[in-house]
Amino acid sequence: MKVFLSLLIASLFIVSNADAQKIFATRNGKIVFSAPTDDDVKAVNNEVTSRIADNGQVTFSLLIKGFRFKYAEMQEHFNDQYLESNKFPRADFKGNIVNLKEVNFTKDGSYKVIVKGDLTMHGITKSITANGKIDIKAGKPVVTCEFEVSMKDFNVDAAKVTSKVTVEVSCQYQ
Amino acid sequence: MLAFTVVGIITGGIIVYRIYTKPHRDVTREQGVQLSAQSLYDAFKTNETAANAKYLNKAIELNGEVAEVTTNQDGNTVVNIKTNDLMFVINCTFKIQPGELKAGQNITFKGICTGYIPDFNVVINEGVLVKIN
Repeated sequence: MKVFLSLLIASLFIVSNADAQKIFATRNGKIVFSAPTDDDVKAVNNEVTSRIADNGQVTFSLLIKGFRFKYAEMQEHFNDQYLESNKFPRADFKGNIVNLKEVNFTKDGSYKVIVKGDLTMHGITKSITANGKIDIKAGKPVVTCEFEVSMKDFNVDAAKVTSKVTVEVSCQYQ
Repeated sequence: MLAFTVVGIITGGIIVYRIYTKPHRDVTREQGVQLSAQSLYDAFKTNETAANAKYLNKAIELNGEVAEVTTNQDGNTVVNIKTNDLMFVINCTFKIQPGELKAGQNITFKGICTGYIPDFNVVINEGVLVKIN
Protein backbone atom coordinates (compact mmCIF):
# COMPACT_ATOMS: atom_id res chain seq x y z
CA MET A 1 0.00 0.00 0.00
CA LYS A 2 2.77 2.39 0.99
CA VAL A 3 4.65 1.64 -2.20
CA PHE A 4 1.51 2.15 -4.22
CA LEU A 5 0.81 5.47 -2.53
CA SER A 6 4.32 6.78 -3.05
CA LEU A 7 4.19 5.68 -6.67
CA LEU A 8 0.90 7.47 -7.08
CA ILE A 9 2.32 10.64 -5.54
CA ALA A 10 5.42 10.38 -7.69
CA SER A 11 3.37 9.94 -10.85
CA LEU A 12 1.22 12.93 -9.94
CA PHE A 13 4.40 14.93 -9.62
CA ILE A 14 5.62 13.86 -13.05
CA VAL A 15 2.30 14.71 -14.65
CA SER A 16 2.05 18.13 -13.00
CA ASN A 17 5.65 18.84 -13.94
CA ALA A 18 4.97 18.04 -17.55
CA ASP A 19 2.03 20.41 -17.44
CA ALA A 20 3.92 23.22 -15.72
CA GLN A 21 4.34 26.17 -17.98
CA LYS A 22 7.79 27.47 -18.71
CA ILE A 23 8.37 31.14 -18.00
CA PHE A 24 11.30 33.17 -19.31
CA ALA A 25 12.13 36.53 -17.74
CA THR A 26 14.44 39.53 -17.92
CA ARG A 27 15.01 42.58 -15.72
CA ASN A 28 17.22 44.34 -18.25
CA GLY A 29 15.56 44.18 -21.63
CA LYS A 30 15.95 47.10 -24.00
CA ILE A 31 13.39 49.44 -25.57
CA VAL A 32 14.32 52.35 -27.83
CA PHE A 33 11.87 54.90 -29.14
CA SER A 34 12.47 57.55 -31.75
CA ALA A 35 10.58 60.20 -33.68
CA PRO A 36 10.51 59.35 -37.39
CA THR A 37 11.09 62.99 -38.35
CA ASP A 38 13.77 64.09 -35.88
CA ASP A 39 16.99 62.13 -35.28
CA ASP A 40 17.63 63.85 -31.96
CA VAL A 41 14.37 62.63 -30.45
CA LYS A 42 15.56 59.21 -29.43
CA ALA A 43 15.79 57.53 -26.04
CA VAL A 44 16.92 54.20 -24.65
CA ASN A 45 15.66 52.23 -21.66
CA ASN A 46 17.80 49.28 -20.55
CA GLU A 47 15.74 48.32 -17.50
CA VAL A 48 12.71 46.79 -19.16
CA THR A 49 11.26 43.90 -17.17
CA SER A 50 9.45 41.23 -19.10
CA ARG A 51 8.06 37.73 -18.79
CA ILE A 52 7.15 35.47 -21.63
CA ALA A 53 5.44 32.14 -20.99
CA ASP A 54 5.20 29.21 -23.34
CA ASN A 55 1.41 29.45 -23.04
CA GLY A 56 1.67 32.72 -24.97
CA GLN A 57 1.33 35.26 -22.16
CA VAL A 58 3.63 38.25 -22.49
CA THR A 59 4.20 41.16 -20.10
CA PHE A 60 6.49 44.18 -20.33
CA SER A 61 7.02 46.96 -17.79
CA LEU A 62 9.32 49.93 -17.82
CA LEU A 63 9.89 53.13 -15.91
CA ILE A 64 9.47 56.36 -17.86
CA LYS A 65 12.32 57.97 -15.91
CA GLY A 66 14.57 55.18 -17.16
CA PHE A 67 14.59 56.60 -20.71
CA ARG A 68 17.91 58.26 -21.43
CA PHE A 69 18.17 60.89 -24.15
CA LYS A 70 21.33 62.29 -25.68
CA TYR A 71 20.28 65.76 -24.53
CA ALA A 72 19.47 66.33 -20.85
CA GLU A 73 17.09 69.17 -21.70
CA MET A 74 14.96 66.89 -23.88
CA GLN A 75 14.91 64.24 -21.15
CA GLU A 76 13.53 66.84 -18.74
CA HIS A 77 10.81 68.01 -21.13
CA PHE A 78 9.87 64.44 -21.91
CA ASN A 79 9.44 63.62 -18.21
CA ASP A 80 7.94 66.85 -16.91
CA GLN A 81 5.75 68.07 -19.77
CA TYR A 82 4.93 65.18 -22.06
CA LEU A 83 4.78 61.92 -20.11
CA GLU A 84 4.35 63.51 -16.64
CA SER A 85 6.45 60.76 -15.13
CA ASN A 86 5.98 61.90 -11.53
CA LYS A 87 2.29 61.19 -11.87
CA PHE A 88 2.60 58.19 -14.22
CA PRO A 89 5.98 56.60 -13.49
CA ARG A 90 5.45 53.30 -15.30
CA ALA A 91 4.29 51.90 -18.63
CA ASP A 92 2.91 48.34 -18.74
CA PHE A 93 1.99 45.95 -21.50
CA LYS A 94 0.02 42.74 -20.99
CA GLY A 95 -0.81 40.56 -23.93
CA ASN A 96 -0.68 37.28 -25.78
CA ILE A 97 1.05 35.73 -28.75
CA VAL A 98 -1.81 35.37 -31.23
CA ASN A 99 -0.14 32.70 -33.39
CA LEU A 100 1.28 30.65 -30.52
CA LYS A 101 0.94 27.41 -32.49
CA GLU A 102 3.70 28.55 -34.81
CA VAL A 103 6.24 28.94 -31.98
CA ASN A 104 8.21 26.04 -30.54
CA PHE A 105 9.93 27.22 -27.37
CA THR A 106 11.84 23.96 -27.06
CA LYS A 107 13.40 24.10 -30.52
CA ASP A 108 16.06 26.60 -31.57
CA GLY A 109 14.93 28.71 -34.51
CA SER A 110 13.38 31.99 -35.59
CA TYR A 111 9.61 32.40 -35.28
CA LYS A 112 7.51 35.28 -36.56
CA VAL A 113 4.91 36.32 -34.00
CA ILE A 114 1.93 38.61 -33.69
CA VAL A 115 1.41 39.99 -30.21
CA LYS A 116 -1.83 41.60 -29.13
CA GLY A 117 -2.57 43.22 -25.81
CA ASP A 118 -3.12 46.32 -23.70
CA LEU A 119 -0.55 49.07 -23.35
CA THR A 120 -1.01 51.36 -20.35
CA MET A 121 0.93 54.61 -20.38
CA HIS A 122 0.31 58.16 -19.20
CA GLY A 123 -2.79 56.88 -17.39
CA ILE A 124 -4.43 55.56 -20.56
CA THR A 125 -4.90 51.95 -21.70
CA LYS A 126 -5.11 51.11 -25.41
CA SER A 127 -5.14 47.84 -27.27
CA ILE A 128 -2.19 47.40 -29.62
CA THR A 129 -1.05 44.71 -32.03
CA ALA A 130 2.57 44.32 -33.03
CA ASN A 131 4.52 42.10 -35.37
CA GLY A 132 7.74 40.70 -34.06
CA LYS A 133 10.08 37.78 -33.94
CA ILE A 134 11.12 35.29 -31.30
CA ASP A 135 14.51 33.69 -31.80
CA ILE A 136 15.19 30.68 -29.63
CA LYS A 137 18.93 30.39 -29.11
CA ALA A 138 20.26 27.60 -26.91
CA GLY A 139 16.78 27.25 -25.45
CA LYS A 140 16.48 30.95 -24.47
CA PRO A 141 14.19 33.40 -26.27
CA VAL A 142 15.28 36.70 -27.79
CA VAL A 143 12.37 38.95 -28.73
CA THR A 144 12.57 41.73 -31.30
CA CYS A 145 9.57 43.79 -32.30
CA GLU A 146 8.74 47.19 -33.72
CA PHE A 147 5.54 49.21 -33.61
CA GLU A 148 4.28 52.79 -33.72
CA VAL A 149 2.62 54.67 -30.90
CA SER A 150 0.49 57.72 -31.58
CA MET A 151 0.91 60.51 -29.05
CA LYS A 152 -2.76 61.44 -29.33
CA ASP A 153 -3.87 57.91 -28.36
CA PHE A 154 -2.17 58.32 -25.00
CA ASN A 155 -3.16 61.94 -24.53
CA VAL A 156 0.45 63.12 -24.80
CA ASP A 157 0.52 66.70 -26.00
CA ALA A 158 3.81 66.63 -27.91
CA ALA A 159 2.55 68.07 -31.20
CA LYS A 160 5.47 70.52 -31.25
CA VAL A 161 7.90 67.60 -31.41
CA THR A 162 6.19 64.64 -33.03
CA SER A 163 2.78 63.04 -33.55
CA LYS A 164 4.06 59.49 -33.21
CA VAL A 165 7.10 57.47 -32.21
CA THR A 166 8.55 54.20 -33.39
CA VAL A 167 9.15 51.75 -30.55
CA GLU A 168 11.80 49.05 -30.93
CA VAL A 169 11.81 46.19 -28.44
CA SER A 170 14.84 43.95 -28.00
CA CYS A 171 14.81 41.57 -25.03
CA GLN A 172 17.07 38.65 -24.20
CA TYR A 173 15.49 36.27 -21.69
CA GLN A 174 16.88 33.86 -19.15
CA MET B 1 16.53 97.51 -36.36
CA LEU B 2 19.80 95.82 -37.19
CA ALA B 3 20.76 95.90 -33.51
CA PHE B 4 17.46 94.19 -32.62
CA THR B 5 18.04 91.47 -35.19
CA VAL B 6 21.57 90.86 -33.99
CA VAL B 7 20.44 90.70 -30.36
CA GLY B 8 17.63 88.36 -31.38
CA ILE B 9 19.95 86.03 -33.24
CA ILE B 10 22.45 85.97 -30.40
CA THR B 11 19.75 85.29 -27.78
CA GLY B 12 18.25 82.55 -29.93
CA GLY B 13 21.68 81.12 -30.46
CA ILE B 14 22.38 81.04 -26.74
CA ILE B 15 19.04 79.31 -26.02
CA VAL B 16 19.68 76.64 -28.66
CA TYR B 17 23.27 76.24 -27.46
CA ARG B 18 22.06 75.73 -23.89
CA ILE B 19 19.46 73.15 -24.90
CA TYR B 20 22.08 71.12 -26.67
CA THR B 21 24.83 71.43 -24.12
CA LYS B 22 23.05 71.25 -20.78
CA PRO B 23 24.92 68.44 -19.00
CA HIS B 24 23.22 65.28 -17.74
CA ARG B 25 22.89 64.90 -13.98
CA ASP B 26 26.05 63.79 -12.23
CA VAL B 27 25.09 61.73 -9.20
CA THR B 28 28.67 61.66 -7.89
CA ARG B 29 28.26 65.33 -6.99
CA GLU B 30 25.00 64.82 -5.14
CA GLN B 31 24.39 63.94 -1.52
CA GLY B 32 22.31 60.78 -1.56
CA VAL B 33 19.48 59.86 0.81
CA GLN B 34 20.99 56.99 2.83
CA LEU B 35 19.05 53.78 3.46
CA SER B 36 19.23 50.01 3.16
CA ALA B 37 18.08 48.09 0.09
CA GLN B 38 15.51 46.35 2.30
CA SER B 39 13.99 49.61 3.57
CA LEU B 40 13.72 50.92 0.01
CA TYR B 41 11.84 47.78 -1.04
CA ASP B 42 9.61 47.92 2.06
CA ALA B 43 8.73 51.55 1.32
CA PHE B 44 7.60 50.76 -2.24
CA LYS B 45 5.81 47.57 -1.29
CA THR B 46 3.88 49.23 1.53
CA ASN B 47 2.86 52.37 -0.33
CA GLU B 48 4.01 52.93 -3.89
CA THR B 49 2.59 56.46 -4.19
CA ALA B 50 4.24 57.63 -0.99
CA ALA B 51 7.55 55.98 -1.93
CA ASN B 52 7.42 57.56 -5.41
CA ALA B 53 6.99 60.99 -3.84
CA LYS B 54 9.92 60.32 -1.54
CA TYR B 55 12.44 58.55 -3.78
CA LEU B 56 11.58 58.96 -7.46
CA ASN B 57 14.35 60.76 -9.37
CA LYS B 58 16.28 61.26 -6.12
CA ALA B 59 19.94 60.47 -5.56
CA ILE B 60 20.04 57.64 -3.05
CA GLU B 61 22.88 55.89 -1.28
CA LEU B 62 21.97 52.26 -0.65
CA ASN B 63 23.63 49.45 1.19
CA GLY B 64 22.83 45.80 0.73
CA GLU B 65 24.01 42.33 -0.20
CA VAL B 66 24.90 41.52 -3.81
CA ALA B 67 22.63 38.78 -5.20
CA GLU B 68 24.20 38.66 -8.65
CA VAL B 69 26.32 40.66 -11.06
CA THR B 70 25.36 40.71 -14.75
CA THR B 71 25.72 42.94 -17.79
CA ASN B 72 22.87 44.55 -19.70
CA GLN B 73 22.40 44.27 -23.47
CA ASP B 74 24.62 47.30 -24.02
CA GLY B 75 27.49 45.96 -21.92
CA ASN B 76 26.96 47.98 -18.72
CA THR B 77 27.39 46.32 -15.35
CA VAL B 78 24.17 45.53 -13.49
CA VAL B 79 24.17 44.56 -9.83
CA ASN B 80 21.09 43.02 -8.25
CA ILE B 81 20.79 43.57 -4.51
CA LYS B 82 18.92 41.12 -2.28
CA THR B 83 15.74 41.81 -0.37
CA ASN B 84 13.91 39.42 1.95
CA ASP B 85 11.71 38.45 -1.02
CA LEU B 86 13.59 35.85 -3.08
CA MET B 87 11.99 37.04 -6.33
CA PHE B 88 12.53 40.73 -5.72
CA VAL B 89 15.77 42.71 -6.00
CA ILE B 90 17.04 46.26 -6.26
CA ASN B 91 18.31 46.43 -9.85
CA CYS B 92 21.20 48.84 -10.23
CA THR B 93 22.89 49.73 -13.52
CA PHE B 94 26.33 51.27 -13.01
CA LYS B 95 27.63 54.14 -15.10
CA ILE B 96 31.11 53.77 -13.65
CA GLN B 97 32.55 50.24 -13.58
CA PRO B 98 32.36 49.08 -9.94
CA GLY B 99 35.25 46.63 -10.39
CA GLU B 100 35.04 42.97 -9.44
CA LEU B 101 31.96 42.36 -7.30
CA LYS B 102 30.74 38.99 -6.11
CA ALA B 103 27.48 37.59 -4.83
CA GLY B 104 27.39 37.75 -1.04
CA GLN B 105 29.41 40.96 -0.71
CA ASN B 106 27.85 43.85 1.13
CA ILE B 107 28.21 47.10 -0.78
CA THR B 108 27.22 50.76 -0.55
CA PHE B 109 26.47 52.54 -3.80
CA LYS B 110 24.82 55.67 -5.08
CA GLY B 111 22.45 56.19 -7.98
CA ILE B 112 19.17 57.69 -9.15
CA CYS B 113 15.93 55.88 -8.37
CA THR B 114 13.69 55.62 -11.44
CA GLY B 115 10.90 53.69 -9.71
CA TYR B 116 9.20 50.44 -8.80
CA ILE B 117 8.07 47.50 -10.93
CA PRO B 118 5.86 45.18 -8.83
CA ASP B 119 6.98 41.52 -8.72
CA PHE B 120 10.32 42.43 -10.26
CA ASN B 121 12.49 45.19 -8.82
CA VAL B 122 13.15 48.76 -7.81
CA VAL B 123 15.35 50.34 -10.48
CA ILE B 124 18.41 52.46 -9.80
CA ASN B 125 20.52 53.78 -12.64
CA GLU B 126 23.58 56.01 -13.03
CA GLY B 127 25.12 53.89 -10.27
CA VAL B 128 28.52 54.47 -8.69
CA LEU B 129 30.12 52.27 -6.04
CA VAL B 130 30.79 54.07 -2.76
CA LYS B 131 32.46 51.22 -0.88
CA ILE B 132 32.60 47.49 -0.22
CA ASN B 133 31.59 46.94 3.40
